[in-house]
Amino acid sequence: MKFRTFLGAVAVLALAGTSASAGDKDAADTAVEAAKKYAGTTISIVWEAGLQSLDPLNYSGPQWEKLTGIKVKVVEVPTDQMFTKIMQDFKSGAGAYDALNVIPSWMPDLARAGALEPLDKYVDKFGYRDELQDIAAAYRDNQMQYDGKIYGFPDDGDVMLLYYRKDIFDDPKMKDEFKAKFGYELAPPKDWKQFDEIGQFITDKMAPKVYGAGFFRTAPYPHYMFQERFRMEGGKFFNADTMKATVNGEVGLKVFKQMLAENKFMPPGVEQWNFVDNLAAFLQGTTAMTISWPPYGRWAAGYGSGEEALKWVPKSQVAGKVGYALTPLGRPELGVGFDLSVSATSKNKEAAYLFIQWLNSKKTSLERVQLPYTLRDPFRLSHYASEKYRALWPDAPAYLDTIKTSGEKGLLDLSLLQQDKYDEAMTKAISSLWAGEDPKAILDRMAQQFDAITEKVGVDNQKAVYKVWAAKPGAYPR
Amino acid sequence: MTLSASLNGAEQRRPSRLGRMLEDRLPYLIVAPAILILLLVGLFPLIYSLIVSFQRITMTENDTTFVGLLNYAELFRDTRLWASLGHTAIITAIALPLELLIGFLMAQLFIDRMPGRQIFLALLVLPTVISPIVAGATWRLMFDVRFGPIGQILSFIAGEPVRILWTVNPAYVYPAIIICEVWQWSPFMFLLLLAALSNVDPSQLEAAEIDGASYLRVLRAIVLPAIAPVIAVACLIRGLDLVRIFDIIWTLTEGGPGSMTETISLYTYVQGFSQFETSYTAAISFLVIALLTVITTLVLKRMELAR
Repeated sequence: MKFRTFLGAVAVLALAGTSASAGDKDAADTAVEAAKKYAGTTISIVWEAGLQSLDPLNYSGPQWEKLTGIKVKVVEVPTDQMFTKIMQDFKSGAGAYDALNVIPSWMPDLARAGALEPLDKYVDKFGYRDELQDIAAAYRDNQMQYDGKIYGFPDDGDVMLLYYRKDIFDDPKMKDEFKAKFGYELAPPKDWKQFDEIGQFITDKMAPKVYGAGFFRTAPYPHYMFQERFRMEGGKFFNADTMKATVNGEVGLKVFKQMLAENKFMPPGVEQWNFVDNLAAFLQGTTAMTISWPPYGRWAAGYGSGEEALKWVPKSQVAGKVGYALTPLGRPELGVGFDLSVSATSKNKEAAYLFIQWLNSKKTSLERVQLPYTLRDPFRLSHYASEKYRALWPDAPAYLDTIKTSGEKGLLDLSLLQQDKYDEAMTKAISSLWAGEDPKAILDRMAQQFDAITEKVGVDNQKAVYKVWAAKPGAYPR
Repeated sequence: MTLSASLNGAEQRRPSRLGRMLEDRLPYLIVAPAILILLLVGLFPLIYSLIVSFQRITMTENDTTFVGLLNYAELFRDTRLWASLGHTAIITAIALPLELLIGFLMAQLFIDRMPGRQIFLALLVLPTVISPIVAGATWRLMFDVRFGPIGQILSFIAGEPVRILWTVNPAYVYPAIIICEVWQWSPFMFLLLLAALSNVDPSQLEAAEIDGASYLRVLRAIVLPAIAPVIAVACLIRGLDLVRIFDIIWTLTEGGPGSMTETISLYTYVQGFSQFETSYTAAISFLVIALLTVITTLVLKRMELAR
């Protein structure tokens, strides 16, 4: 009896050991082993042109070829043309692309059209499900699936962060004067009222050398800030029953008026600033606060300053002086992001899948998010916890912790059928706002445009998609 | 014998019926491939676009069912379309006379021999040879509120910082576009008018001078009638170009603020390549073709009458 019990225990332990070793098997190695049978083939991948594509061109592409013998052809496409190119390839059935970079808000359109290959069967076949759990929930739960199927692996931890100048915020004289004037500590703003007061205070004290804040204001990004602020103030984009746009109510008007008023304490001409203008101003120390994606934080710390590809980034004058915080009201916009997907018309679907599994795996992605010259941001729990990453510069732990918290609290970008049209309407509305047009008139026009788009897409179709989107945890603050 | 032999030879050399047929049609056969290619390249897309304009093809829906005039009916309800046509008309109405006037004044200046004429000519023509997208990008930098030389010059003149948001402020966006457009294309007018002025009969000018005619009188009675056909052709070419204006506006304002400077070309591009409304874009294209055909026919008719 005892012997049988012993044998049973041995058997259980052996089974447990086997399953543990299967579960622990590295998804990157699994992909490499499985991909070797495709040695000699070439797969193509659509990647955002510019810095982003240096990842597959300089790092992951050559490494994949070395490991598997599969060549990677990188098709660089400007962001605003990526959707078109992917759809054109799908419609023509040419199968020119095997793997794709897809902005998550496009997923409903692409998945419904049939342009993306469902990945579930590959995920199971190549044992990737466990490693997917390491992807931060904000991205995994919101940006990976459509209609219950996996269509892409979240591969970029895009989220908005508030960057502020610690040296100014910690200056005793500034602190005292601020507290005397407003009755609370000079610290990263908790809401937009505080943001405005702090911004105006710093501008009053330090301009033109330093202004309170600066933002990118020109197309195509400012609408992400509007989306965040509008929802955090209690706004809803649509009436869920009728799908009539509700962006032109009191909340929309309040946000528009606040956004416009803030330009007054920002540097002159901020209305014309794009991503690079804003980056340059912050890195040169001209602005004390800004809100942007994670690369600002790395570059502000001087990380990658010796890289040839980053020569266009102004040399940081604020290294060691930058603090990281949640955006006012504490639920930052996730803002764009990228998924890795497989094209439904690919002639090398499995090889393409294995490549994206390898790219997205814990091991490979940790290396990729540390490449100083690309714009991929940490998106896995293991990235945030990585000792190697946390040692990259003195404030890197605080940086990673803030990205982690921001991601956990992140608000999803609006993602409907033909989302680009709603985005265009918001972008145009914001540019009219900077031009001095009446905010209410702009919002009314934007609501009309929203309604016209919804009408064209089909109210019932759009209502169904909106319902799914609005039910996601990151859609509206609860 | 010799005569008979030569007659027989002539009979032998006379081409057969097939040969005659080939000979008659040889020119057509030779040009046929070229015509076929022209038809394929030129006419086929036009016909295909016309067919598409009666369907409901978008990037996501490949609906090729015939929907009649649905897309054309939608054109009349599309306020953004008519606004964009209005913006195009404004730019054309202001830029075209300015280019003509500046081109004419420059041509008047250069008609006489002057030192360094060839160098100045080459320099003046430079804007015309660069790509409009480069011109737009250059002017965007020139208008930049922080680093642009225009703001710095104006600040120097005013004695205080002058900060004009040329590409944002509604009061300045049209001037910015027109300045850029006129800068680039006035030299084109200048070249055409310089050539035309060079061909005005000098004996008429000398006679007028001897008779004591004033400059304005000479201009009105001799010069302008002589160069009128060239002016008409130049205006037609530039007018059509201005209706198609795209690159400069795209780089300067992208049609903004809002849709304030969106021209018909920009709007067509947005509908076709950003919003993927393929059938509707085809309908817009045919509306533009129809409008341009009417305008061009009217202009050509007037030119004919003038002649």
